[in-house]
Amino acid sequence: MKHYQYWLDKLLPSPLTESNTGVVKKRDYKYFSRGLALILLVLVLAPLTLISVVSHHQYKHLLQEEEMTQLILNLETGKNTIEEFVSELQSIVKFVARDDRYQEVLNPEELEALFIRLQKEYPGFADIEIIDAEGSQKAYFGPYQLEDQNYTDQIWYKEVLLRGVYISNIFSGFRHVPHFVIAVSRKHPDKPGHWVLRVTIEGSTLQNFINTISSSYADDMFLVDSECIVQTQPQKYGKIGEKCILLLMEDTAEHCISNSKLEKNTTGKESADLMIVKRTFQGQEITHAVVDLIGTPWKLVLIKEQYLYANTWLQFKIKLATIFLTCVIIAVLIIFEISSAITKHLRESDKKRQQLYSEAEHSNKLASIGRLAAGVAHEINNPLSIINQKTGLVQDIVEMSDDFEHKTLMVDAHESIQNSVNRCKKITHRLLGFARQTDVQVEEIDINATVKEVVEFLEKEALYNQIEIAFDLDQSVSKIVSDRGPLQQVFLNITNNAIDAIGSHGKITLSSRQVDQKHIQIKIQDNGPGMPAKVLKRIFEPFFTTKETGKGTGLGLSITYGLVKKLGGDIKVTSEVGEGTLFQITLPTQHGE
Amino acid sequence: MITIKSKILIIDDEVEFASTLCQRLKLRGMTAFDAHSGTEGLVSLKEIHPGIVILDLKMPDMSGLTVLKKIKEYDERIEVIMLTGHGSSGSGTEAKGKGAFAYAMKPLDIKELIDTIQSADNQRRKV
Repeated sequence: MKHYQYWLDKLLPSPLTESNTGVVKKRDYKYFSRGLALILLVLVLAPLTLISVVSHHQYKHLLQEEEMTQLILNLETGKNTIEEFVSELQSIVKFVARDDRYQEVLNPEELEALFIRLQKEYPGFADIEIIDAEGSQKAYFGPYQLEDQNYTDQIWYKEVLLRGVYISNIFSGFRHVPHFVIAVSRKHPDKPGHWVLRVTIEGSTLQNFINTISSSYADDMFLVDSECIVQTQPQKYGKIGEKCILLLMEDTAEHCISNSKLEKNTTGKESADLMIVKRTFQGQEITHAVVDLIGTPWKLVLIKEQYLYANTWLQFKIKLATIFLTCVIIAVLIIFEISSAITKHLRESDKKRQQLYSEAEHSNKLASIGRLAAGVAHEINNPLSIINQKTGLVQDIVEMSDDFEHKTLMVDAHESIQNSVNRCKKITHRLLGFARQTDVQVEEIDINATVKEVVEFLEKEALYNQIEIAFDLDQSVSKIVSDRGPLQQVFLNITNNAIDAIGSHGKITLSSRQVDQKHIQIKIQDNGPGMPAKVLKRIFEPFFTTKETGKGTGLGLSITYGLVKKLGGDIKVTSEVGEGTLFQITLPTQHGE
Repeated sequence: MITIKSKILIIDDEVEFASTLCQRLKLRGMTAFDAHSGTEGLVSLKEIHPGIVILDLKMPDMSGLTVLKKIKEYDERIEVIMLTGHGSSGSGTEAKGKGAFAYAMKPLDIKELIDTIQSADNQRRKV
């Protein structure tokens, strides 16, 4: 919590507490703006980045899964098709080699007729031969000169006797043409041992079949034997009869995506070993899958050079990056706009607060001065009364006495003391008046009429000094409920001050206007010499005067200020040196508002 | 010519003020007494039976308005002139509302005060 507060304070410094003077430094706002922008950026960009990263991974994963499913599906289709093809060939051969047909097929004519029928169905059948229980060829039909062969030592012969059926790899052998063999062994009907029917099928048959089923999905599809020797011609990845380099490469765990068994499918075939490997081969990213073809000595190899969804994936990445960058740019722009707007708003409200604060401070200061002045005046008033009485007593005695030397001098002196006492009395009374708490006697007042009445008192003085008094009174201004006496005093004081300020040859304009339903405003504008800011700041302070000593008490405007406040109003003064001074008195239309 | 027959009692906690004013009134041929607190004033009231009381509004032991009330309770015909030091016409007006004859502000102008006393005396006589 403490750390959290520490960082929050660091990032968002409170502008007003930064400075003891209350003056807010510019750099604080810059700091605030940056801090705010940073926080907002983190708040917006963190989830955005997280979502993007998660989407990226999720989509990639989905595509890979889809890719794999597709690959396995194609592989399975290829596998099933080839297996069925081979199984069909095997079935035909098995059918031809019925137990009881041994004698029949030994007849060359019968064998030829049989072979021609077979070739009609499958043109890839190259030759056919019959081998007896001793491994000697008993009948042959085909284009090659392969009569009188003995296969006793041949592995395939042993295998066919052992398993009943044999399918060979593709090889050239005696024929010097790529071919493969399907051999079936049958029990002799009338003697011990097995006879064998062996059919040679051209390798091109399988090649054509592979070429046909190789879908557009695969970049290469071919067969290899258990030793990884290529059986059908690949388009790119190896040569027929050679070992497939791709399959001989060491497979590390990271390459191997899947090494499992294809489960029994709907056709009910047994499961087959399946291996899917992804690797870089000759600078290209490839995925190859190898699956055992059940019932054959071969494996089907399927190679995909690139992800099927490479384009989709690229498009997704471009889209994601575009969306991400657009969001980032928009977020950055909006956040900077917002943070600068908030900072601006904060700066303005701070400024306003500062202004209000100084205004409050000012009026508070005036109120304090007022209270102080009242206290002083009250304290002075009592001894002043005693001086007054004592002097009076001495004066009485002197006046009642017979003439004596210096009597006149003494009478004059007493009069002088009394005059001074009276002067002090006036000051204390005005001071007390500044702070007094008398009840306000309210009545409905036509403010325009009151302004005019007041000015009448000063018309002569203005006339003598060639000062023009003009009115700009709004006749529609509403009547106000207020205390007439203090109001008159306010207007009188300000107008009187204006006359004094102008001296001679000038103009005073008094105007009235309605501010809103609850307030009216009186403006008293003169074109006198105006006041510098230093004077303006202290204008409402008691005893502050710019007039010559003895000419002003410095209480006029402080009393005016006190009166306006007491009436629930507000007084403001603006002044420009050489331009003049403007007093704006805002008063409530109803008393107590 | 001052023709004030009523006895005058000055009640003010400022001893110097009260005694000096008392002397000045005596010099002018009036019968004047001074008391220096509200309590003392009320005691003197019963001893002297003044026709006019000059009463300070603010005193430490009791306020001028309380003393005024007690004076009026004692004898309604006694005219009371209140002395205020506040420059506050409000307190004076309030006192007038409670039966004071007039109010005068400190420091006093003796001539004005004597005129007020004269009026009060005349008022008493009318009654």
